[in-house]
Amino acid sequence: MTKGKVESNKKSEVLQGTLDLMILKTLQAMGPLHGFGIARRLEQLSEEVLRLNEGTVYTSLLRLQQEGWIAAEWGASENNRKAKFYSITKRGLKQLERETEDWERISGVIDRLLRLEGQR
Amino acid sequence: MPELMIVRKVRKLWQRMRDTVRNEPRELEFQTEMEEHVRLLAERYRRQGMTVEAALLAARRQFGNPTLIKEDLRAMQIIPSIEALRGDLTYAARMLRKNPGFAAAAVITLALGIGANTATFSVCNAVLFKPLPYAEPDRIVMLSERRRDGTLGNVAPANFVDWRDGSRSFSGMAAMRAPSFAPSFILGGQSEASRLAGGMVSSGFFSVLGVQFKLGRNFLPEEHRLGQDRVAILSYSAWSARFGADRDIVGKAMTLNEESYTVVGVLPAGFQFGTTSADFQERSQVEIWVPMALDPPKLQRGSHPLLVIARLKQDVKVAQAQAELDVLASNLAQQYPEQNKDTGIVAVPLEDKVTGSVRVALETLLGAVGLVLLIACANVANLLLNRAAGRQREMAVRIALGASRGRLAQQLLTESLLLASLGGIAGFILALAAIAALTPQLPADLSRASGIAVDARMLIFTAVLSLVTGILFGLGPLFGSGRESAGESLKQNNRTSSGIQTRLRSGLAVAQIAIAITLLIGAGLMVKSFWALVHVAPGFRSDSILTARLLIPTSRYTDSRKIAAFERALRESLEDRPGIQSAGFATYLPLTGLDHALGFLVEGRPPLPIGTYNVAKYRPVSAGYFETIGIPLLRGRSFTVADTAESPWVVMINDSMAREYWPSENPIGQRVQFAGTGRTVIGVVGDVLHEGLEGAAKPEMYMPVEQAPRIESGPTIVVRTALDSGAAAAELRGAVSAIDRTVPVDRIETMQQLVSGSVAQPHFRTMILTAFSLLALMMASIGIYGVMNYMVIQRTREFGIRLSLGATPSDVLRLVLRRAAVLISVGTCLGIAGSVLLVRFIAKLLFGIAPLDPLTFAAVPMLLAIVALAASYIPARRATRIDPIAALRYE
Repeated sequence: MTKGKVESNKKSEVLQGTLDLMILKTLQAMGPLHGFGIARRLEQLSEEVLRLNEGTVYTSLLRLQQEGWIAAEWGASENNRKAKFYSITKRGLKQLERETEDWERISGVIDRLLRLEGQR
Repeated sequence: MPELMIVRKVRKLWQRMRDTVRNEPRELEFQTEMEEHVRLLAERYRRQGMTVEAALLAARRQFGNPTLIKEDLRAMQIIPSIEALRGDLTYAARMLRKNPGFAAAAVITLALGIGANTATFSVCNAVLFKPLPYAEPDRIVMLSERRRDGTLGNVAPANFVDWRDGSRSFSGMAAMRAPSFAPSFILGGQSEASRLAGGMVSSGFFSVLGVQFKLGRNFLPEEHRLGQDRVAILSYSAWSARFGADRDIVGKAMTLNEESYTVVGVLPAGFQFGTTSADFQERSQVEIWVPMALDPPKLQRGSHPLLVIARLKQDVKVAQAQAELDVLASNLAQQYPEQNKDTGIVAVPLEDKVTGSVRVALETLLGAVGLVLLIACANVANLLLNRAAGRQREMAVRIALGASRGRLAQQLLTESLLLASLGGIAGFILALAAIAALTPQLPADLSRASGIAVDARMLIFTAVLSLVTGILFGLGPLFGSGRESAGESLKQNNRTSSGIQTRLRSGLAVAQIAIAITLLIGAGLMVKSFWALVHVAPGFRSDSILTARLLIPTSRYTDSRKIAAFERALRESLEDRPGIQSAGFATYLPLTGLDHALGFLVEGRPPLPIGTYNVAKYRPVSAGYFETIGIPLLRGRSFTVADTAESPWVVMINDSMAREYWPSENPIGQRVQFAGTGRTVIGVVGDVLHEGLEGAAKPEMYMPVEQAPRIESGPTIVVRTALDSGAAAAELRGAVSAIDRTVPVDRIETMQQLVSGSVAQPHFRTMILTAFSLLALMMASIGIYGVMNYMVIQRTREFGIRLSLGATPSDVLRLVLRRAAVLISVGTCLGIAGSVLLVRFIAKLLFGIAPLDPLTFAAVPMLLAIVALAASYIPARRATRIDPIAALRYE
């Protein structure tokens, strides 16, 4: 248990709020996906850098649904099982645009800030 | 932008609310989705070569704790305050369940208060506030003649025509024959003779009321002329009950009193007409309406048979119309001094006229029941205060642990609102039961209430009442617990109470006692005056007397002689039957509300100044009437069968008339003139309270049926019998149909029923008010018990110390009772003061006693003091039994 923890400490915790952005972006890029598919895509992209409890994907999905940024629909998965597919809505696209700008601005600021620290 | 924010917020809230409501299925969806997710993860690990168990474990680790996730999901879908409310409700319900005595006391108190209020309000709503069944009923006024003595009376036909033609304030004016002068009809072509109550109206009567006919039409103006007036309009109930709701009835002929009438219209269901509250009982309603022909040159000013109604023009106020009528009246007084000198015209809104006789009584009940609710609220507030005191520690702990005061207030309000809702529901059920129980007992003048339905207004009334009550007494405990700072309460061992709370509690008890005293005094006065009323000697006997109405067809009994012959035959036939002692006839029976007066002259007296008359009541009776109904003969002789149209014309008078007109002479042998004939006074009989037990006797003249000025075809028969009323009624019907089976017999009642009917309203209000005041007494006693009980618990330690320092139990008893006595005395004084102020409102309802009746004002406070002291004695006794050692260890 302790060992596992130490090991996993090398990975970064997903920043609060960034998961939403990541899911929105994923859905925009990949089209409709089910929860498992989203988790796989995130895993792939993060290249095992991010530590993610995949269950939290679902709280994020509910939040996005409540905001009206994504929509859900039941359909059949690749192996023909019943699965819920999530897709980004028009309002979700707008939100993604806004959040992307925000993110770039903030990460730019943080970048510069960190570099400043390093020059001292 | 801010608008957008709001829209978003509302949408989100809506979404959440929907989720809250249907959160089970949404959770299930996620459940399957998440299980599937874990399954797929595990499959992947299996494919990488793990064992089934290891793969599942790895999958689970990667997924995270599903329970936590589910909890997060649930929290996101639920509105926090609703969740808190649900918690509060559960908590409140648990608190009530844990303390069933308290819960029961509070709910029952509230249910009684709310139930009594709802029931009373429903009756008042139906009788006082329900609009009359006409178009714009508030614009209809009733016009009466103001007589020389200042009383209001019916209208002379010639006056009516002058008013109608001489006024401009009204869009229409019409007249109807008053009930004492209304026609009755025998409906032809029926197997059994039956009587229809008739109404005779002038042109435009139904248009003044604004009636929409169910079928057919109103009378035409030309149908109000003699010769063209054989047309009729049916009431809805006569149409459906007697004519089988025949939709093609208009244009058909029917036989009334052996003459042919054509039906021209049918009135709508729910149409009723009356000018007093009692007129609206079903049995007083007209069944068949016929036109009244008014032939101006022949119209009278001396007799007064008409009720007049008029509709105010738009924008004309009653006062404006009254001003115009005043001018009109003074013109008519100058024009016709003999009949109209010193008389006037009075316009009163018909709705006021109808509700007038019962308004005071019902408003008294409404006020009384409002006071009962106040006491009930005070009681519940007291109960909650007691409980809040017991929970001060709990509140303090919760505040110390970070609960906001608002949050605590919300919880307290939830508790009291829960109580109020329970009380409201129970009260509503109670009200339904009370209405069901009361409806058959409603006196005639509250008969408009017999159609009380549970309508939305009543429901809303109950709901608002219980909510207001809930909030009202929910605030009580807030004063108690909110004021103290948490720390202080925690330090304090909650055995001592704050001054504010004690004062509040004592104030409530004092108020309850004061209100209860006021109600009890009101009820005491009512009971005493009702007692006086039913012990009034009416002047006739009411036991073993059966009465019934007859209608003798004038088409065959064409004069008084033939009518008298029928009556004589019926009397003889009845008196031959076993169990029947005697029988007699009278046109106007006491307490029936029907009456008639005549002007007369005393022969040998100087003529009266113009415009003044001697007036006495007009009473055609048969031989045997006085003996049967038990009106005593004081002087001279009574009528016999020998007093016929051919014998000398005679009259009997009552005691009041004898004393008024022959105060120092023997009236026997004196001569009076009325209806154009001179008659000799042959006897004096006792006074009768004709108009009601509350009224006074008036001068009355009795004459034999054969010598009456008009044909009395609708007499009432009175039968003295030892038989029960059913058997006597059968004998009566048998005897009538043996002589003439076309004569209808109806309204068979015992004299006892007539008497109790005449006091039904005072009986009703006395009963209800007594019930209310006993309820108040009970609640006030519980109230003072609660206060004293609380005081004893609070001062347990002090009493323990006193007892251990040598105080005797009776010292402690006195200490407690003295405190109770102070509260009771203060409450009593306030209550008496309040009663003195309030009794003048019910003075009109009292009979035979003064409003400030000393006996009532002394006895009631005594009764209350005894009951309240008895209630305080229980906790006081407990105080004397305190074990000093235990009390000191109590902390």
